Amino acid sequence: MAAGPMEQFEIRPLFGDHPLFSIGGHPIFFTNQALWMIIVTGAVSLFMTFAMSRRSLVPNRAQSMAELAYEFVANMINTAAGEEGLRFFPMIFTIFMFVATANFMGLLPGSFTVTSQICVTLALTMLIILTVIVTGFVTHGIGFLKLFVPKAPIYMLPVLVPLEFISFCTRPMSLSVRLFANMLAGHTMLKVMAGFVVALGAMAVTSKAWMAPLSLAPMALIVAVTGLEILVAFLQAYVFAILACIYLGEAIHLHDNH
Amino acid sequence: MSNSGPDPERLRELGARLDEIHGGGRKERLPSTATGIVMRLATELVVGPFVGGAMGFGLDWLTGFFGIHTKPVLTILMFLLGAAAGVRNVMRTAQKLNAQGQPGATDDRE
Repeated sequence: MAAGPMEQFEIRPLFGDHPLFSIGGHPIFFTNQALWMIIVTGAVSLFMTFAMSRRSLVPNRAQSMAELAYEFVANMINTAAGEEGLRFFPMIFTIFMFVATANFMGLLPGSFTVTSQICVTLALTMLIILTVIVTGFVTHGIGFLKLFVPKAPIYMLPVLVPLEFISFCTRPMSLSVRLFANMLAGHTMLKVMAGFVVALGAMAVTSKAWMAPLSLAPMALIVAVTGLEILVAFLQAYVFAILACIYLGEAIHLHDNH
Repeated sequence: MSNSGPDPERLRELGARLDEIHGGGRKERLPSTATGIVMRLATELVVGPFVGGAMGFGLDWLTGFFGIHTKPVLTILMFLLGAAAGVRNVMRTAQKLNAQGQPGATDDRE
């Protein structure tokens, strides 16, 4: 099977070509992406429910993992957004667990990486940014617009205010592109190197059979890169969640915390 | 020792002892790894001009819609502003991280 390195990101309708239903004449398919989003959500929900079902004072392994995740996110919100940020704990926790699990599950052979699709990451980001904007206007009223006025000499403001505004507008883009690009790049790299292994291994049946053992080199590299990818999978989920916290913190405190 | 759930008095004692071991208040700084920072800064820098340019392009379209021909001007201007915003974002993040890294160092610019 000479599968191209980008084939793993293809979105295909499942169950043949039968659309589930159609909205305004546009057919809605149940795709492999939808399936994997359901799997990820289901896995997180099942794990958390199962882990906390027999909760005890001295936690067993599953319960410790659940509590570790809870404390990790709670600490993260506390440091990045302060006490008041804990109001958003359910949202941040859900996003973090979803992104982290999706990243990790994407590393399983034969799986589909949900977070390598920009439509998924952009949708998550839009949810975060909308929450930030609504929170900002609810807590500060029109004073939220002071976010765009940095502390600077007054004659610099005509330049700095548009700058701040653009930098605010880049947030959804940078947040979603970072996650999606990292996942896309990592998986493509793994696939390309796996292709090297196959191509070099196939040399065994040609006149240049001595080249076949060379396929061990990209093989070793794949092992190393897989380790790196596991780190990246967690790191990107962490960065995604902490930036959401920082943005929320800014909306709650405006300038006074930094 | 009855099996009717944990004793609240002993629980509190345990909590107090745990707090003692953890050193009272848990005031941790943002646990940030170098790789995470590098990735953050890189995208921050790249995305700035893109979004700026896209906004400028949209504004150009808007002015063209109202009959004022500014076609390439706003795109170029906003592209440059976007690049500046990207650099500013990176500077700000780096400053924040510096301030975090050295508790003694104070940041008087922000």
